[in-house]
Parts: sequence; C-alpha cells; structure tokens
Amino acid sequence: MPAALAAFILFAWTQEATPLDLWDALNQGVLQNATFIQQTLVRAVPLVLAALAVVIPARAGLVNVGGEGQLILGAVAATGLGVAVGSSLPGPFSWLLCILIGAMAGGLWGGLCGALKVWFRAPEPVTTVLANFIAISIMLYLLYQPWRDPEGTGQPQSRPLDTAAMLPMIPGSRVSIAILVVVGFAVLVWWLLARTNWGFRIRVTGGNPEAARRSGLPTARLSIASIGLGGAMAGIGGALNLIGLEGQLRPDITIGFGFVAFLAAFLARGSVVKAALLALLFSAIVVASNPLQLRAGLDGSAVYVLLGCLCLGMAALSRRRTV
Amino acid sequence: MIEIIFASGIAVGTALLFPSLGELINQRAGVTNLGTEGGMLGGALAGVIAGLATGSAWWGLAAGALAGVAVAAIFAWAVVLRGGNQLASGLIVWFLMLGLTSVIGRDYVGQGVTSLSTMPIPVLAEIPFLGRVLFTHDPLVYGGFLAIPLLWWFLTRTRAGLKVRATGERPLVVDAAGHSAVRTQFTALLAGGALTGLGGAYLSVGQVGNWSTDMTNGYGFVAVAVVIFSAWRVGWTAGGAYLFGAMIATASVLQARGFAVNQHLLDALPYLVTLVVLVIISARRVQQPEALSAALSTR
Repeated sequence: MPAALAAFILFAWTQEATPLDLWDALNQGVLQNATFIQQTLVRAVPLVLAALAVVIPARAGLVNVGGEGQLILGAVAATGLGVAVGSSLPGPFSWLLCILIGAMAGGLWGGLCGALKVWFRAPEPVTTVLANFIAISIMLYLLYQPWRDPEGTGQPQSRPLDTAAMLPMIPGSRVSIAILVVVGFAVLVWWLLARTNWGFRIRVTGGNPEAARRSGLPTARLSIASIGLGGAMAGIGGALNLIGLEGQLRPDITIGFGFVAFLAAFLARGSVVKAALLALLFSAIVVASNPLQLRAGLDGSAVYVLLGCLCLGMAALSRRRTV
Repeated sequence: MIEIIFASGIAVGTALLFPSLGELINQRAGVTNLGTEGGMLGGALAGVIAGLATGSAWWGLAAGALAGVAVAAIFAWAVVLRGGNQLASGLIVWFLMLGLTSVIGRDYVGQGVTSLSTMPIPVLAEIPFLGRVLFTHDPLVYGGFLAIPLLWWFLTRTRAGLKVRATGERPLVVDAAGHSAVRTQFTALLAGGALTGLGGAYLSVGQVGNWSTDMTNGYGFVAVAVVIFSAWRVGWTAGGAYLFGAMIATASVLQARGFAVNQHLLDALPYLVTLVVLVIISARRVQQPEALSAALSTR
C-alpha cells in the first residue's frame, strides 16, 4: 500500500503536481470539506449496488464485468419511464416504478450474458465486457436522437425528470434517501446469500458444479438467476443514481463506476459486507480526489491512476486467492 | 463500395490484428490478459509522443511496442510473479493505463502526427479487386500479413513455440523437463505486450494520425474475444481481427453514404457481431489450453 501511494505521488510529481499540491488538494477535499461524508454517501449509491452485482454471480462462479452496462441501462430505463410519466403519478409510485424498471433492464442485460454462458458456453467475462460497449451505444443513440432535450445546450442530455419523480433528501442533508434503499438492498443480498436455501444452492453451484448437478440442483437456472439478480442490483443503482441525484440522463452519467465497483467486489473476495465497505472507501477516494483537478492541476482521470495503483497493490499482495 | 469496405477493413483490422496475435501468444501460454486494452492505450499514446518528437512514424511504432512491453511487465509481475487473479489484474492494468494515458495525453490531444504513407505493391496492386483490397496499404499492413504465418510457424514448428504451448497445457511438465514455466509465461506476456503496443501505435499513428482520450474504445477486449472464438488458432484469430475491421469499415461507409442509421447504433455493430460470433463458436465444444487461467506455482 505505501508503495502504491508512493507510485502515485511520483506520478503526480512528473505531472507538475508536487506533494504539497496533493496535500493541499487532500486538505481541501476532505478536511476542509464540510460535506465530504455526504458527497461520499451520494457517490456510494451506484458503486455499492454495482459491487453487489459482482458479488452475487461470483458466488455461483460467474464473473460479471458488465456492471457498467447494467448501471447505464438501469439509468436509461428509469429515464424513459420517468420522462414518460412526468408529474402524472404521485412520487412514491413513480420512484417504485423507476427502481423496478431499472432492475428489469439491468437484470435482463446481465441475465442475457448468463444465458449465453449456460446455453452456448460463451465465456461471461468477455460477453459482459462486450455488452458494456453495446449498452453505451444504446444510451448515446437515445441521447443524441430521440431523447435529446431540445432546450438543452452543449452536451446532449435528456429532458429533466419532474421534481415529484425525484427522491426526497434526508432531512438536514443533501443526501437523498437513495442511500437508505442501498443499505436495505445490501442487507437483503447478504441475507439472501448467507441465510437462505437459494444462497446455499448457488454457492454449491459455484463451488462444485458437478456435485450440484448430480444432486439435482437446476444449475443452469441458478447461474442465470444469479447474474440476472446481480444485473438487477446494478440496474437499480443506475436508476437510484438518476432519481436520487442526476435528474436527467447525460453521456458520462456513470463514467467507469461499474469498473470501480468490480474492483471493490473483487478485492472483497465475494464478501457482501466487505464489498459494500470497499465500494464506500472507493467512493470516498473518488470524492477526495475531485480537488486534484482544481488544486493540483491534474486531469480528472488521475483518480483512476490512484485507484489502479491501490488495487494493483492489494491484488498483488493477496497471493493465490481468487474469487 | 464492397471494395472500399474490404480494403479499409484490412487497414482497420490491422490495428486489431497485432493485439489479437499478442493475446493469442498470452493465452497459448496459459494467461488471459484483459489488460490488452491498457497495453493498446499505452502504445497509442507512446506512439504519438515519439512520433511528434522524432517526426517519424516508425519511431512512433517502435515506442508503441516498447510501451506495450512495459504495460505487459506490470501485468506479468502481478499475475505470474505475485499470483494475482488474471481477470482482475487485467482490468486493473487497463484502469491504470486509462488514467495514465488520459492525464499524460491531455497535452497531446488532437496534435497531428506524421502517419505512414501507403506503398502500393507494384504488380500485385493491379489485380482487379484483390489488388485494391490487399496491396494498396502502408507497410505495417503487409507486416501484419507476414506476422500471421510467422506466428503460426513459431507456435507450431519451433522449440520455443512448443515450450509456450506446453506452458499453457501442462506447466508442471515444462518444469519437470528442466525448463521454467514461470519464465516462459513471463516472456510470452512481454512478447504479446509488444504486439499489443504496436497495434495501439498503429491505431493512433498509422490510422488516425493523432491521440484522443480512450481512443482504443474497447478494441483490446475485442482482441480477447477474437482469440477465444478463433479456438486459439492463428489463422482464425487473424480472420476475426479483419472481420472486426470490416465491421467498423462497414459502419463508417454506411454513414458516409448517408444511410439513415444512427451513428451510435452503427458503433455498436462491431461489438454486436463479435458477441454473436463468439456465442456461435463457443456453442461448439472446443479444446482450450488446459492450464488457461490457472495460476502457476512460483515456488
């Protein structure tokens, strides 16, 4: 870990950001930043759910690298519904519908790759990655043509959702209640995996597929269900990010969050609690590094360098253990 | 129109051919390298920087290959020496390179670099259709044509190639025979990295003529898919790379002709086709390298 940090500091130095600048940025971003914790919680909404999207299929022995695409389609579906509904439904109904349709979109997208794996043996680490690029194209198509807000200028964006469709803030804060929903889902997933028959079955399917088949478990269905449920989590993450924070679809709505979440879940080695906490930590790093751009003059993507260094350090230190 | 699609498909496909052949070496040695996308990004940026500094596309390509080796070294360290998970390490390397190249490349965005000039082959280029499609390109495209049989010969007809394949099938046997599976795998990754970086540099220096952030746009992942759907065979890998190139060319030709299709839907076409072909081919049971994705024991 110290080596990873040192590598990042050295890198920043070559980009004319001295360690003092970095400290200044950290100081501004975290210590002097009264809303640091709130911003972290807001960011954590898509990150934690996308991390769960990796953890659930990992139990069944499947690698879901498609969190990014599932987040995007969740946001796309929620936007479509939210804009169509407008203000015709009372808030809670429209929130529920948005979450539901986001879950369906992400779940289908993930489940599709699961089905391709089960029926055609198509390797899911590759198909889920390819699916991300297709999802991005779908979103861009909608944003540049049918859904483009005619009143918007510059970057294309969808029409904004009606204020009634947006989740309310937790009183006294600028964090929407989306984070509470996320905590709920995290607990639910933990319970599902650790305490239910279904969780046990997908663990067996992942641990020893042959034994699972011989003991009569419907392994194909369990595999598809696990990655479909994972995709649904990411889809919900996309929807909550939209109705809790963004309010309208824009091209870089989830830029890279699906991948950050994958790393968090991977480093957590399939543990729900650890994955959620690591996703929270990564969200804190993302927030803390916002001022890197303003204060230290680094490009916004510098945070990927920092995360990459840290993850490389963590992954390389954990020898011989795989998800 | 068919002629244009095929000709530019070959040219675009070359940017994918080198990384695909590199990935093939990696996988034959038992490692799935999702960091290919990162290696291409590194090669693309290094190629532009060196090309601008020296004014020569060839130095750019060389620098791209070197950058690819450097990126592969990080991946190989994590995977081979530290026993890190291959898929995760690959994604981490991609991430790292996405960040690094975005930050460093910011000052280079849009700066034009001298690209390779086309060099039609005298007599052959006159052949109707085929001549235009195959023999009116820049030298690196021809280099790609040569690399295909060379790699096939290396993998199937040389001792070193045998060692690479054996490492991907039975690493323990390689060790027992007095060779080092670890060293073979490490070297194979570096060699694959050089090809990957070269492909990236060909994309930026040879094809586009400048650098833009995240310009590889998933090609590295497509290379991984191409290798898998080729069933780890050299010829099919090359075919897959050119097919993908032809898809990209089709998309841009359709667009240039004012075909009433949205550009972003066309952008999805190559990935969709790759996915479909991958699925169709995976459905047949093919023998993958036996020790693919298994971590070696470094002790």
